[in-house]
Amino acid sequence: MDILEYAWLIPVLPLLAFVFIAFLGKKLGDLNGYIAVGGVGAGMVLALWTAYELLTTGRIYSTSQTWVVLSNEYTLEMGVYLDNVAAMMLIVVSFIAFLVVVYSTAYIHDQGPRRHRYFTEICLFVGVMLGLVLANNFFQMFVFWELVGVCSYLLIGFWYERPAAARAAKKAFLVTRVGDVMFMIGLFILFTELRTFNYVDVWAALDTADPTMMAFAAFFLFGGAIGKSAQFPLHDWLPDAMEGPTTVSALIHAATMVNAGVYLVARSFPIIATSAEVALFVGAIGGITAFIAATMALCAPKIKGVLAYSTVSQLGYMILGLGAGAFLWHHGHHAAGSIAFGAGLFHLMNHAFFKGQLFLGAGAVIHYVHTEDLAKMGGLGKYMKVTMITMLISCISIAGIPPLSGFWSKDEVLAMTFEAGDAGLTFMVLWVLGVLTAFMTAFYMFRMWFMVFGGKPNEGTVHATEHGHHKHEAPIAMLIPLVILASLAFASGFSLFIGDGFFGAIYYGDAHVLTIGEKLEEVFTSPLTYISIVAAVAGILLAYFSFYKSKISAEKVVSKGFPKAMHQLLLDRYKFPQAYDKIGYVGVYGFSLLLDKFDRYVIDGIVNGIAAFLMAMGGVTRKLQNGFVQSYATLLVIGVSVIVILLYVVGVLR
Amino acid sequence: MIPLEFVLIITSVLFVIGAAGVLLKKNAIQILMCIEIMLNAAIINLVAFSTYFGDGTGQGFALFAIGIAAAEVTIALAILLNLNKLRKTVDVDDINLLRW
Repeated sequence: MDILEYAWLIPVLPLLAFVFIAFLGKKLGDLNGYIAVGGVGAGMVLALWTAYELLTTGRIYSTSQTWVVLSNEYTLEMGVYLDNVAAMMLIVVSFIAFLVVVYSTAYIHDQGPRRHRYFTEICLFVGVMLGLVLANNFFQMFVFWELVGVCSYLLIGFWYERPAAARAAKKAFLVTRVGDVMFMIGLFILFTELRTFNYVDVWAALDTADPTMMAFAAFFLFGGAIGKSAQFPLHDWLPDAMEGPTTVSALIHAATMVNAGVYLVARSFPIIATSAEVALFVGAIGGITAFIAATMALCAPKIKGVLAYSTVSQLGYMILGLGAGAFLWHHGHHAAGSIAFGAGLFHLMNHAFFKGQLFLGAGAVIHYVHTEDLAKMGGLGKYMKVTMITMLISCISIAGIPPLSGFWSKDEVLAMTFEAGDAGLTFMVLWVLGVLTAFMTAFYMFRMWFMVFGGKPNEGTVHATEHGHHKHEAPIAMLIPLVILASLAFASGFSLFIGDGFFGAIYYGDAHVLTIGEKLEEVFTSPLTYISIVAAVAGILLAYFSFYKSKISAEKVVSKGFPKAMHQLLLDRYKFPQAYDKIGYVGVYGFSLLLDKFDRYVIDGIVNGIAAFLMAMGGVTRKLQNGFVQSYATLLVIGVSVIVILLYVVGVLR
Repeated sequence: MIPLEFVLIITSVLFVIGAAGVLLKKNAIQILMCIEIMLNAAIINLVAFSTYFGDGTGQGFALFAIGIAAAEVTIALAILLNLNKLRKTVDVDDINLLRW
């Protein structure tokens, strides 16, 4: 039996659970959670099996069926395309989604009838995301892409009676829609130029295609990724998306939504690599996003806010890696380009594990203290040992301390960016931004960790401990996913050393096989590695002294002058929400008003004008109908006479 | 034999007199009479052409036309009589019921 022939079942199984829960689950209560676990779990087993088969044999499997025939030349197809990248995505998405669903069974327990809605939507979310990964053409990807968008809208707005949640859901939907429109434009360009959406056909046709049009296609496809993966300047929906349940945040940030954008960039990597400018643009957007999101995370007041900005920032790293890869590839450094491509995806995988863990951990914390405000926490370490330790592992990992996973991938991305700096100086700047980001990442993660678990218990902690319903840690169904994800956050970096190594399995073009010794030598003989380690350690120490030892008072630093203004600007998220509103109100609403005026006065004016003209004309001509038979007869005689005279003149009667 | 042209000229003159009467006269009875003149011009034409071509059909039609004209006059006179009864006038300038 060839397991790959059954790969199409991977998204179908969670979707079956979705259908079942949606139509029959109304009265089932807790059972819904177990059905969801079953559906997603079955999908996961199949996905892991498929991924194992793909990665061990190195096969590429694809099937395709004609879906819509538009004309002889233009056909839409549907099918499955499985290669190493899809295999990695399958592992990440299905596994984390499964853990999140398991965690949800406990986390969402007190939501009563809402659980039905929650599990329905979660199953749909996971199913369509897996479908997106399996797609064999850009159009099919787009279909699932939109479905993922709908699910995120539904889940972010899960507590729809809260105005903030409803607003956040709307914002997430509308802001990503800007990207989706660009994605669509990219699709149109591809389709008119190459007459196909199939990945393989598109990649094969690139050599003969018009480079200008391909550059535009790459640019617009990347625009889709900017929206979905919350890249600058469309990043602002992601922090707002924290209004949903924490499990949903975990799913969006670690497993599904935002990874879709990176996956799109990976799939359009060859198209991006055809143009140095677009590759540079991709890298620059990634670097800028990583940097500005990290600055905003520095002083975020809410625990989930820190994590949200952190996600945006880490996504910036991934995009930076892929952009650098495309740039290197374009300039003929195929081996380096291939590694940079792998590095971006490597970071995606590692990030999925530690960020999934951090969100679920934050969920456990919020579950305990019933507040998201960092200032009200503190001293929780005493009560939540497992959460504390697992989150510490993830924090170290994301900060980039060897040998945890975040170190390997972040270092690889930065090294490749530095290498791309040889071909284009801009990447040097981006590398500097990346190192600064690494410093800030370490700082804000440990700021969060110290504020939650260290120090004296603040009001929230005290209140929860004395009056709360839970005097103990989160239930076991929540702790097990935490532990599993933390161990993966610790260990997923070692996939560099399994078999041919990560870059021997996930690559573009040719595999880059290194033995363990070679890889270690490559990493630890480079001065770049030490720069990023130093940056990370410095960040941790700074956080340690200011938020644990209180040697440096953060309040004092931001109490006056430029730091204060900067602090306020960061709290205001660089005024991005206001800018969106401005664009929304002034730009879009103003334009709509203009269109309204145009419709009212020009379009309606023309229509009404024609009617009014005809009525006026009628008013004039009806005077001829004066009721005197003789005048009619006169007109008749005149008319006939004129006709006869005319006929005579033209010669008919002669 | 009288040449055809003579007859045609006379009937044309008759027709124009009748038409002018229809357009200019104000009394409905007079208008009716003018219509009869126009009709008679046409009937004379029929007879003239019938003689000219040596074919009796035209004369047959003339007889029909005279009969129909008689019927038509009775109807028209009946309408005028009723009109006179209702509106106390047969002046067409006072009758403009078919107005906008």
